Amino acid sequence: MDYFYSYLILAEIYVLLGLSTNLLVGVVGIFSVSQAAVFGVGAYIVSDFLLSGTLSFLPALAVAAVACIVLNVLLTLPSLRVSGDYFVVTSFGIQLLATAVFTNWTGGTGGANGLPGVPPPDLFGFPLEETRQILGFTTVAAGLGCLAFWLAMRAPYGRLLKAIREDELAVAAAGKDVLRAKVSAAALAGAFAGVAGGVYATYMSFIDPSSFDLDASVLLLTMVVVGGARTLAGSIVGPFVLLALPQLLQLVAIPTTVAASARQLLYGVLLIAFAVFRPQGLAGERL
Amino acid sequence: MLLLQLLVNGIVTGCALGVVAVSFALVYATTRIFHIAHAGVYTLGGYLAWSLLAHGVPEPLALLGAMAGCTVLGAAIQHFLYAPLERRRATHLIVLIASLGALAVIQNLIAAVYSSDILEFTIPWASAVVTLGGLRLTGAQLATLALSLAAFVGMLWFAHRTLLGKRIRAVASNPFLAEITRLEPRAVYVTVIAIASAVVCIPGVLVPLDLGLQPYGGVTPLLTATIAMIAGGVGSLGGAFLFAVVIVVLQNLSLLVMPGEWSIGVTFAIFVVFMLFRPRGLFAAG
Repeated sequence: MDYFYSYLILAEIYVLLGLSTNLLVGVVGIFSVSQAAVFGVGAYIVSDFLLSGTLSFLPALAVAAVACIVLNVLLTLPSLRVSGDYFVVTSFGIQLLATAVFTNWTGGTGGANGLPGVPPPDLFGFPLEETRQILGFTTVAAGLGCLAFWLAMRAPYGRLLKAIREDELAVAAAGKDVLRAKVSAAALAGAFAGVAGGVYATYMSFIDPSSFDLDASVLLLTMVVVGGARTLAGSIVGPFVLLALPQLLQLVAIPTTVAASARQLLYGVLLIAFAVFRPQGLAGERL
Repeated sequence: MLLLQLLVNGIVTGCALGVVAVSFALVYATTRIFHIAHAGVYTLGGYLAWSLLAHGVPEPLALLGAMAGCTVLGAAIQHFLYAPLERRRATHLIVLIASLGALAVIQNLIAAVYSSDILEFTIPWASAVVTLGGLRLTGAQLATLALSLAAFVGMLWFAHRTLLGKRIRAVASNPFLAEITRLEPRAVYVTVIAIASAVVCIPGVLVPLDLGLQPYGGVTPLLTATIAMIAGGVGSLGGAFLFAVVIVVLQNLSLLVMPGEWSIGVTFAIFVVFMLFRPRGLFAAG
């Protein structure tokens, strides 16, 4: 039962990340392979505050969210200035740079060994130590994220974002503020990723760079592509399906040495298959 | 002396990455596809050559065999992935995602077949050291310099002096006009990716002679190459090559002031400077 709970908790954390990636890739329409870097920054900020004891969980989470909002807006700004293809370079560059920082800046991140012993999350001094309590907390967090995404998408603001993706010039000609709409979408995506990072770090109680590398970003992108772009259902289906797949892989007898590459191989095959045969994903709109 | 040695090392590796940049730029300028899977083709080249050598194939034949394998892979990606997507009028974003998927498939197949650890790629003459007035150059470095420059000059000659090269440049400059004058852009796209894949195999074999083979080792060279292409200006093969050399030389010189783990930061800083001040690159065509 605990095993199933931990699957649910992780899937709910990844729902927040799926929402974050969906906002950038699905809604604004920019190719991003650096959302795991933002996720990682959130995780390391919360861990550092909790390990040093300077802030308790909720304030640390708030700081992480603000930092990730700023970071994500900065990362996305180049996409507003240059064509989409150049942003591919920005995105790859940021991700590789972030991995280098996570691995080599031993003072703040523990380097390749990671940060062990991150304390469990607490709410106003009441620690959430049991799996069920954490599940309750992640359910509320993911639920709030979904609510925010749903409200934003059904509001005029959501239609504005979709219109920008379809025809940016026409939207600008209609007198809408394209820059502000894109920056605020990036900010929302940053907040989701930052909060997800903080919750992930406190639930796992150990983080290292391998959770926030290029492969992790590819996984997030696969979740959006498989789940489906721009819909709430897609952002929820993607993480739940993709986190269940490795369990299925375990049923097939694959030697452990190739298990990691088999998993990434599967993500690659899914990316290609959905891009060619089903660009709307399982429950979304066409990318 | 250390400065000079780093400078020379930078120029040698820079020439190899220059070939990656030129081959990528040729594909990008012609097809407008940001061919991320090119990193996988680059990686596969090294592994194929390694396998052929392990089976006792002579060195020049192993290189040619690896190039043939890369050509087939590149043409297959165009024919079975990009072309169907274009027929379905897929968005640019979907093509990028498919290309990333292809890269993931290639890298992880390599990791599953060989191993995800670094594989030593040693040839006796490649690790032999030649000393030139205090400068130390390995055989691998000399071969890299010679073959990379030859590949670069060959690409320039091909693009400007041959009929097929002119056809490619015609398609690149105006696909619509090329279509109605029966230059058949689609056939040209397959040819371009095939040629670029054969060429990128050369640095794909030579660079690992120094650094060893790694299934995920193609991403960083490709990132450097794309930054060089953008800094040089899309459409300028010479610009892409020149900037690849400049970037790698700066990376190497940065070793004087900071450890090598941070060299990705130097590369990325150059990109940010160009994005801020000259996003079209220095020698952009048109």
